[in-house]
Amino acid sequence: MKIKDEKYHRLFQCIAYTVVLLITAACLFPFLLIISASLTDNETILTQGYHLIPPAFSLEGYRMVFQFPDEVLRAYGVTGLTTVVGTLGGLFFITMAGYVLQRKSFKYRNQFAFFIYFTTLFGGGLVPWYIMYTKYLNLMDTYAVLIIPGLMSPFLIILMKNFIKSAVPEEIFESAQIDGANEFTIYARIVLQLSLPGLATIGLFLALHYWNDWFSSSMFINNPHMYQLQYYLYNVINTISFVTQMGASSGVSLGQDIPTESTKMAMAIIVTGPILLLYPFVQRYFVKGLTIGAVKG
Amino acid sequence: MATKRKRFISALLSVFLLITILAGCSSSNSETKTDTTGTSEAPTTTDKDTTSTTGIDTSKKVELQFYMLGSAPKDLSVVEAEVNKLTEKDLNATVKFNFTTWTDWEQKYKLLLSSGQSVDLIYTAEWTQFQAYAKKGAFLPLDDILPKAAPKVQAYVPQDMWDAVKIDNKIYTVPATYQEYVTNGFVWREDLRQKYNLPKPVDLASFEEYLDGIKKNEPTMMPLSVNSDVRGNLLNLLRELRGWIGGPIPYGVNIQYDKPGEAYSYWGSDEQLQDLETIKRWQDKGFFSKNVLNVKDTLQDPVTSGKAAAILGDNPTRYNDTNNKMKSTHPDWDLGYTPYATVTGFATPVHPIHNGFAVPASSKNAERALAFYEKMVMDKTYNWLTEYGIEGKNFEVDSEGHYKMLGDSNSNGFQREGMQGWAWRNPEFMLFDKSYDGVDAIFKELDKVKKPDLYLGFAEDYTAYQAERAALEQVEKQYLFPLQAGIVADVKGGMETFMTKAKQAGLDKVQSEYIKQWNAYVAEKGIQ
Repeated sequence: MKIKDEKYHRLFQCIAYTVVLLITAACLFPFLLIISASLTDNETILTQGYHLIPPAFSLEGYRMVFQFPDEVLRAYGVTGLTTVVGTLGGLFFITMAGYVLQRKSFKYRNQFAFFIYFTTLFGGGLVPWYIMYTKYLNLMDTYAVLIIPGLMSPFLIILMKNFIKSAVPEEIFESAQIDGANEFTIYARIVLQLSLPGLATIGLFLALHYWNDWFSSSMFINNPHMYQLQYYLYNVINTISFVTQMGASSGVSLGQDIPTESTKMAMAIIVTGPILLLYPFVQRYFVKGLTIGAVKG
Repeated sequence: MATKRKRFISALLSVFLLITILAGCSSSNSETKTDTTGTSEAPTTTDKDTTSTTGIDTSKKVELQFYMLGSAPKDLSVVEAEVNKLTEKDLNATVKFNFTTWTDWEQKYKLLLSSGQSVDLIYTAEWTQFQAYAKKGAFLPLDDILPKAAPKVQAYVPQDMWDAVKIDNKIYTVPATYQEYVTNGFVWREDLRQKYNLPKPVDLASFEEYLDGIKKNEPTMMPLSVNSDVRGNLLNLLRELRGWIGGPIPYGVNIQYDKPGEAYSYWGSDEQLQDLETIKRWQDKGFFSKNVLNVKDTLQDPVTSGKAAAILGDNPTRYNDTNNKMKSTHPDWDLGYTPYATVTGFATPVHPIHNGFAVPASSKNAERALAFYEKMVMDKTYNWLTEYGIEGKNFEVDSEGHYKMLGDSNSNGFQREGMQGWAWRNPEFMLFDKSYDGVDAIFKELDKVKKPDLYLGFAEDYTAYQAERAALEQVEKQYLFPLQAGIVADVKGGMETFMTKAKQAGLDKVQSEYIKQWNAYVAEKGIQ
């Protein structure tokens, strides 16, 4: 019996490892292609396509990007700032909202929860949203407009509310109150401490949202110095697709040069590289936080 | 229960109230801000007004919002500062140059015009749907403002151009006066043609012979450069070669230039069958990739890198650019060009609608905006500054009067027409690169067979068949695109399927409505 068991175990392990290996390779492959393409001579890419090992090695792509690195660096700065401020601010507001919404002593919690939930079903749409920010709040070309729209989302508020509800037993509120703690003390010293895994999850959501955001820049930012990183990259690709789209009869000729294939890839590496390197280290804490929450139930 | 609800409602109301108060505060704040700046500036500027040449009221200082498509050049802030020095003196105004970038530009264009945001000048062209927007009232009619605010431009642009841009008998845009041709022509590798002694492409048959020769002699090369836009890069070009009136005419309607009154359906016709069979034959011969619908390269890149040996159609300017770019890395290669005019017998210069600037209906400073635009077109200092950048830093004029860029394309922060300055080009001030002489020669040839563009002045109103139009677009994508890429084995059968599906989607209604509107336009303008 014991031997047979081991055999099955072995078999299972073999299959599991192959599957995982294959998936990993599939994930890694496109990224390796980008790295290789960024190191390939541009004309070789056009004539021979992409290869895993560059047929003609060239650093031209990186040279082009780093000849004037200020644009990329500035975009990095903007995205870094919005990510940090947005994540911290978002965490603060979302936990506050979640805390209030789950307090039994708050009479209208269900109505407010419904009010928040209602917006996920019926939104005003793009145009009113745009008019609100540009005409009434006058936030065109400000850093605020990159941060405010993403600060709170109904989904995250409800998630946080439910998380606090399950993580913090009702009795704790009572005993804390008896000990003389006011609502803010309960929120800051008890609820936040107990819902750290929840904070980690929501913080991750928020940070990813801000890091990947290009739409706010696209809509509200005219000043090229305030473009977010993803938008900066996205623009490059869109300029190229615009040129391919416009037929000869449109007579459109662009003054500025379009970046070459290898420059594009080099830019992609420079833009995604740091966060990719950072991710495995940060991820460990997230996983830890999440499993702690899971065990506690 | 009742009291509970009442309380809830009152709480809700107070929240709303708070929001409205906050919103009200912020907007009134900004208004008062602009007001105070206006009044504080007023006394200092009144003396300048007397020196101003325009017949408009410039006593209040304003900031003009100028919107252009595409990306901003790196040195925009420097140029903007220079321009503002001039405008403050001349017009008591500052100008903010805004750029939409090419990301979602169509959506942003729509938002800029519909949100009521203050926009004072915006680029217009037929491909930004100028006619449709003008019909919907997105722009201010300029007929009354022009004589007052921009008399010089009004006199400078010829009357027939003003007439040509009129929509419903009103002027909505200031057209560009520079006449260029964006008609297509065959592009091929002249050095290879000579090497293998192939015929010179002057029509479709000789072009195909050339492609055959390339396929035979250069097996590793792709004879023809095509990308995923097969409609624009193959079929519409074949239709242009048949002498259509200009285009692209939508919904498979065809109008021949010499018979504008006789519009008919190209879809389902023998002509379409022939054209699709031509494409199929080229696909079978391996002139372009089977995978063509996934090719995202530009048409020109494969040619400059030596991967492909011809383009079915490109305009003279782009042909020249491609040739120069190719020669910079491969000096011994050479491109040849035959304009379609040799086949069709005529060439139409760009329609005045093709490049222009309009004042959106939401603009509060229409007069000042036009006065500024006049400066950009008619004043050499303004014009050069916004077209070529700063002399001595971004460009210089050589002894023969040619434009010369300083530095290379990476270090120069404002390349030629770096602000996409297509619309305010003034032929009298325009500077050309030396390499442009080739284009000029082609334009001179085309001038000999010049005929006016009859098509672009037509503004379609599709409200009556909007639903059918959307359905048709879907059918076209699903059934016609593969045919146009030559990857359907049975062309005739495929065409029949497409026609039945299109008819189900409402093709007849769309076409008959479109032709009705077109005929009315033809009758109104007296075109024959």
